[in-house]
Amino acid sequence: MLNKVTGHEVDRRLLLKGAAAGGLGIAGATMLAGCAADASGPVTFGVRTVDESPKKQAQAIIDAYVAKTGIEVTGNFTESNAFQNNLSQYLQGTPDDAFQWMAGYRMQFFADQGLLEDLTPAWDAIGDQFSDSYKIASTGSDGNQYFLPQSWYPWGLHFRKSMMEEIGLAATDVYNWDDMLGALEELKGQGLIGLAAADKGGWEAMGTFDILNARINGYDFHVDLLAGREKWTDDRVKEVFRHWEQLLPYQNTNVLDLEWDGAMQLLLQKQAGFFMCGSWFGANFLEQSQEDYDDLMIIPFPEINPDHARDTIDAPLDGICVAKNGENGAGGVDFVQFAASMEGVQAQLDTGIPLTSANNGQDTSAFDAFQQQQLAVMDEAKYITQFLDRDTRPDFAGPVVGPAFQSWFKDPSSTNDILESLQSQWDALAPL
Amino acid sequence: MSSATAVEKSRAKPKRQNRRRTFSKKDRFTLGVFIGIPTFLHVALVWFPAAATIYLSFTYWTGIHIGDIQWAGFANYENIFFNTPIFWDALRVNVVWLVWFGVIATPLGILLAYQIDREIRGSKFYQAAYYLPVVLSLAVIGIIWNFLLRPDGFVNGVLGLEISEAVSFFGDDRYNIWVILTMASWRHIGYIMLLYLAGLKAVDATLREAASIDGATEWQTFRKVVFPAMAPVNIIVIVITIIESLRAFDIIYIIYGSSGGLPILGVLVFQNIAGEGASMKGAAYAVILFLLSIVPIITYLRQQFKEDMK
Repeated sequence: MLNKVTGHEVDRRLLLKGAAAGGLGIAGATMLAGCAADASGPVTFGVRTVDESPKKQAQAIIDAYVAKTGIEVTGNFTESNAFQNNLSQYLQGTPDDAFQWMAGYRMQFFADQGLLEDLTPAWDAIGDQFSDSYKIASTGSDGNQYFLPQSWYPWGLHFRKSMMEEIGLAATDVYNWDDMLGALEELKGQGLIGLAAADKGGWEAMGTFDILNARINGYDFHVDLLAGREKWTDDRVKEVFRHWEQLLPYQNTNVLDLEWDGAMQLLLQKQAGFFMCGSWFGANFLEQSQEDYDDLMIIPFPEINPDHARDTIDAPLDGICVAKNGENGAGGVDFVQFAASMEGVQAQLDTGIPLTSANNGQDTSAFDAFQQQQLAVMDEAKYITQFLDRDTRPDFAGPVVGPAFQSWFKDPSSTNDILESLQSQWDALAPL
Repeated sequence: MSSATAVEKSRAKPKRQNRRRTFSKKDRFTLGVFIGIPTFLHVALVWFPAAATIYLSFTYWTGIHIGDIQWAGFANYENIFFNTPIFWDALRVNVVWLVWFGVIATPLGILLAYQIDREIRGSKFYQAAYYLPVVLSLAVIGIIWNFLLRPDGFVNGVLGLEISEAVSFFGDDRYNIWVILTMASWRHIGYIMLLYLAGLKAVDATLREAASIDGATEWQTFRKVVFPAMAPVNIIVIVITIIESLRAFDIIYIIYGSSGGLPILGVLVFQNIAGEGASMKGAAYAVILFLLSIVPIITYLRQQFKEDMK
């Protein structure tokens, strides 16, 4: 059975070819008509979520676009993990014209394979609404843009204001590593978990690694390490794990039994003081209640090495791409251009679900305190990274780094073995 | 001599022609279609993908453009055996799974089948109760047990434990594998029971009668009379036990995703072949898994058939 799974791609492609050939014979006329579609034809939009809030946001863009242009748009909603796992097949088959995706390596990989539509014209039209770092994150290895950013979220230390007040902890004053350890100790003394952590999904802990590495060794080293120009066996990486180990006594013990939303529950239920995560989960707090959402606050991860201060942040960009094999490419481009524009993002903001726009021109006056603080956290950073699984090779991040961090949680004393193994697995990757 | 051979020839010839004549053109066409279509489908849908997987396991490829396939020799296998610690972890879990199924779950299923076949009181009820999980797919079983045992699940709720203090049924290496095996056995036992029960019903009752008249104990009757009479079912049960243990995937995937929280070969195949991270390391895992399952089965079947021939 399993060998069939792996042969599936080849097999399926042949079948598709066969189906296409057969289809041409039977319905040649309609297919040709489909190929020659113009921008005013109906557009399909692949949405990689089935969750309540983001679904509403996607629907808001669709409704706004339909209202503006009168062009029919169909949203196809798929669960996020399933969407990611099927993306290769999806893009080679009959994909939606536009689809939600992520910037960085994860976009470049598909752009290199010729599966994405060149969005340079869209960038020429509305590119001045985005900062330069976003343009870099949207650019493929051939120098063209294949991605339009819509929103971003910072990774930082989240806490509940009311909880910190009760304890008498000035969380916003936590600036450096000693401050942080002090605060964690204080929380522990109160019988609380200092830092809520999760890694059952295999990716959650990557955020902590990213920020520790950037704080200790700086942005350049972090980027070079993930690109394979530095070694995992380097003493500087060991230093990262030595710091990480200092956090373990303050974490919940069931890290490997919780996914990100489990750790979020610890914060929501006031069992944990801090939670290192992307701010997207604000929407989950809001689903809970307005009061919980208003209680939420974020600070940047503390400084460790004064040389690098707090100059780097993981702030992944979410946005949209256009599939090359879509039926209505021109329509897709027009749609994503709208979706990434101020107007499109405003439609999402009007749903009342928190979102930080990637668009420079966006009116932020209506942002609430939590969102304003996200902007402030972002402003303090000079360098933006996407996230480990968007900044390194996909065949390394998921299958190799994920399990390596999990086994480190099981046995933190095995750091050296794990790092050696990481390096040898990097060296054994298929040549690109 | 020559005349004898001539006679034989002339006798043989019409015989052959006779046989040929029984298949008219139409017959041959029909037979060709009846054999040809399934053969074509079988080759195209089973053998071609299998052969392609074996070939691809010796290459580097991202799974997108056929032109990008690069010969890699044994590199993927070398990588798995010498560089990838999670492979050995997964292999260990699969072996434990196989031993557990072989030594505990399957014999338990056989025991239950035997008891129910003896028509103890309430056997219909037991039969239904044990068989119930079998109608559920392993994925559904994973969802049910996940709901019960996860940190914010039913069991921890009944125990009154907060998420932070919850019993780590799936996260703690000391017992997560046993939790998973219990879940999987819950279904496997019923499955084996049903198979065996069907076999037991077919065993001639007079055999048992004869054994008991000869003064055989219950255990002797089972060991010396019933068990050998069940040979065909035993083969099926053994093959199913091996395959079910090695192909284990769905239950793990539902609970851990492809993250490797409890590494298992089936998930490694998927993790290395699905999504953007696709590499033919996944194909190599598939081939390893294929060999692991096919070798013991073929060896066992050959030995069985040899014995039967004797």
